[in-house]
Amino acid sequence: LQFAPSRRPSLDPGLRVVIRGRPMRLRRLRKPPTGMLWFAAILGPGLVAANAGNDAGGIATYASVGAKYGYDLLWMMLLITFSLAIVQEMAARLGAATGRGLLDLVRERYGIGWTLFAVIVVLLANGGVTISEFVGIGAALELFGVSQWLSVPVAAAAMWWLVVKGSYRRVEKLFLAMTLVFFAYPVAAILARPDWGEVARHTVVPTVHFNADYLLLFVATVGTTITPYMQLFQQSAVVEKGVARRYYGAERWDAYIGAGFSNLIAAFIVIATAATLHVAGQTDVESAADAAQALAPVAGQYASALFGVGLLGASLLAAGVLPLATAYSVSEAFGFRKGVNLDFRRAPMFVGLFTTLLVLGALVALIPGLPVFTLLIAIQTLNGVLLPVILIFILRLINDRRLVGDLANGRVYNVLAWGTTIMLIGLVALLLANTALDAAGIDLFGGGA
Amino acid sequence: LRKEHPILRLSALKGAKVTLDGGASTALIDLVIDLAAGDYPSVIHVLIADEDGTRRALPPPNRIDAHGVRVAAAARGEVVTEDALARMVLLRRDVMDALVVDLKDLRIVRVNDLLLQSVGDGWALTAADISPWAVVRRLTRGLIGRDVADDVLDWQQVEFLRGDPHAAAADRDYHRRVARLQPTQIARLTDGLPYMHAAELLTILPDPLAADVLEAMLPERQAQVITELGSGQAARLIAEMATDQAADLLGHLELDEATNLLDAVPPERARLIADLLRFPADSAGGIMTNEVVIAPVAGTVAEVLQHIRPALARPDFVYFVYLVDDEQARHLRGVVTLRDLNLADPETPVEQIMRADLLTVGALESALDTAHAVSDHALNALPVVAPDGALLGIVTLDKAMAQILPEAWRDRMPRVFS
Repeated sequence: LQFAPSRRPSLDPGLRVVIRGRPMRLRRLRKPPTGMLWFAAILGPGLVAANAGNDAGGIATYASVGAKYGYDLLWMMLLITFSLAIVQEMAARLGAATGRGLLDLVRERYGIGWTLFAVIVVLLANGGVTISEFVGIGAALELFGVSQWLSVPVAAAAMWWLVVKGSYRRVEKLFLAMTLVFFAYPVAAILARPDWGEVARHTVVPTVHFNADYLLLFVATVGTTITPYMQLFQQSAVVEKGVARRYYGAERWDAYIGAGFSNLIAAFIVIATAATLHVAGQTDVESAADAAQALAPVAGQYASALFGVGLLGASLLAAGVLPLATAYSVSEAFGFRKGVNLDFRRAPMFVGLFTTLLVLGALVALIPGLPVFTLLIAIQTLNGVLLPVILIFILRLINDRRLVGDLANGRVYNVLAWGTTIMLIGLVALLLANTALDAAGIDLFGGGA
Repeated sequence: LRKEHPILRLSALKGAKVTLDGGASTALIDLVIDLAAGDYPSVIHVLIADEDGTRRALPPPNRIDAHGVRVAAAARGEVVTEDALARMVLLRRDVMDALVVDLKDLRIVRVNDLLLQSVGDGWALTAADISPWAVVRRLTRGLIGRDVADDVLDWQQVEFLRGDPHAAAADRDYHRRVARLQPTQIARLTDGLPYMHAAELLTILPDPLAADVLEAMLPERQAQVITELGSGQAARLIAEMATDQAADLLGHLELDEATNLLDAVPPERARLIADLLRFPADSAGGIMTNEVVIAPVAGTVAEVLQHIRPALARPDFVYFVYLVDDEQARHLRGVVTLRDLNLADPETPVEQIMRADLLTVGALESALDTAHAVSDHALNALPVVAPDGALLGIVTLDKAMAQILPEAWRDRMPRVFS
């Protein structure tokens, strides 16, 4: 009596291997992936982490850059792509080599004092970005005529409920799908018929303006492109993916491709805005409605709606994850009990921190008369200022051979990474000096704004 | 932890001085403990430094308090090489702020402070403070803090790991208290550990237990952890695992890693595992096990019982005995349960009590259809046969359920039949 099912799987020829001198064909072993399968196997955390940079703050900054300076900052977008690739790859490597998150490593290697410092930096940076996500939610829904007084509190409450009740993962894909709208930017950039020769020239030939506005936007662009939370996310996502140090080799392409792809989109946002707003003489982007006009070549009168959907998706996606990831890594660093399925009594620090970040983000975003885009750019600048701290921690740890063994940085890598860090520190120092002198009534750039 | 003895927190020794017999004093670098010394590791050296940074080890302290450490030695101790330093367990460098296994509540916790107490004629590490208050106390230099006795974890309940899987192979000391837990409990604990720590935990367990723990880990975790075990131990664990579990694991590994490991497994186990690996993962052969008890059909009940005795010695679940015409050709003739064999008259030919009208499945049939057949017919095991009727293995109920159930349920499902 033979049980005969209807459908037979087609028979794979299997892999020829020799075990103890005996050749055999084994069909259950994993074939090394090739071609598109190879990409599918490695792409993941790096792509998501880098593209998280194109959120509310990112769009605001890139749109401002394009409107104000046209193609003038494209050269730094190219340079910064390499910096981003290197930084994200180091974070991924640190995750694979140790199987642990950044704050966890800081705690174990550098003790409680440095941990407190790192936690404050992470709280400031991520708290700022959380505010910017709620600003993004408010601005996006205002485009559809919904008052931010309604949308922001409702979004915050819904986000809290979704995360604490553990159903966030289910809606996450919807938010992610909404951000696909931003693929409209490359289309808009092409339809706007920019002068491609001009675009190419500005990508390779640096144009520098000596004024405070330019410096501020420069640091903001660095801050939004290489945001501290992207490194934290990259590292913990690699840990979660379960990459073993022995097989890290191929994974690094995930970080590289992610960085390249996300900055390509960012560059198209700049080009689209430059080719529409900047050429039309509108050099200041002050609201979401202004920024949406860059999508007019592709969507015409529906530009605002298209922009609104994308902005809402990107903002919602980060508004839940960011406070959660922050609460998680801070709890991890201090040894607080953590986990979304624990209630307030069992994990007071974790749930308290998550709730505080969410509430604070929503409250600040609701301050009346807030200059939306100015605030978003200020937050990205703050991220740029705090970035060197995180970079130095990563660099110190990735060079600690007792910790990472042969996955430590090579010399070329160290030169590039330390170069990025020191350049950034120089920029930040210049920005801070200018702000301080400005307050004292001295203009560092000789009235060039 | 003896509450009546005075307790000193390691954090209180921040910036403390070491005073020698002659009255000379120098900065305390660290305290060296002996992890192998009983329930509470004793402080065996006081570590100080020369001006050029060379580390020196002094004898154990004879007094420790908030003012500093006193050592009954006149000289400045012996020079410690970098190598020796790397092998030592230092309280500040290694244990403070580390992740440790809490064997009482079965969770992974962070050491926020360490408690030292005078025991007998020396000092020993008696507990770890894992409360958030310890963090506050350290950050405020003891100004704000609360003693929460509930969150002090007695060191007897702690397994300390170095985060280095090669440490155990290099003969370093461990408590190995974690070995008292059930394999599934240890596997769930490792879920919360970084993979280097999880691999290290496997290396300090005896092989049979480590193999059971490895079987109970999630597939991605298995594949990650096995890369950090020494190749000798990895092969030993794979040989120790049930063949279907071993085949599942090898199927998750990179090709060269899988073939290298299979090469290092003893030949008779390697042959059984390779036999399973011939079949695609989504076929009946891909979810079967071939650790099956067989006996010749031409015999009495007593002869069959005698024949299967060695096979029963293996600690796996056995209920069915498959009867074949010949142990080489293995053409399946029928099945008999252990209960039937024990209840029947020993002189009865086994053919008279066996079930001959068996439901079987071809090795290349779909795994999902096979799984549904197991559940639809309420079987405990479904024999898988070659086209000529030779018995290849059986698909057990739990492997069938693992195909049908949603992924989230599989991890929590007890394994009964394999």
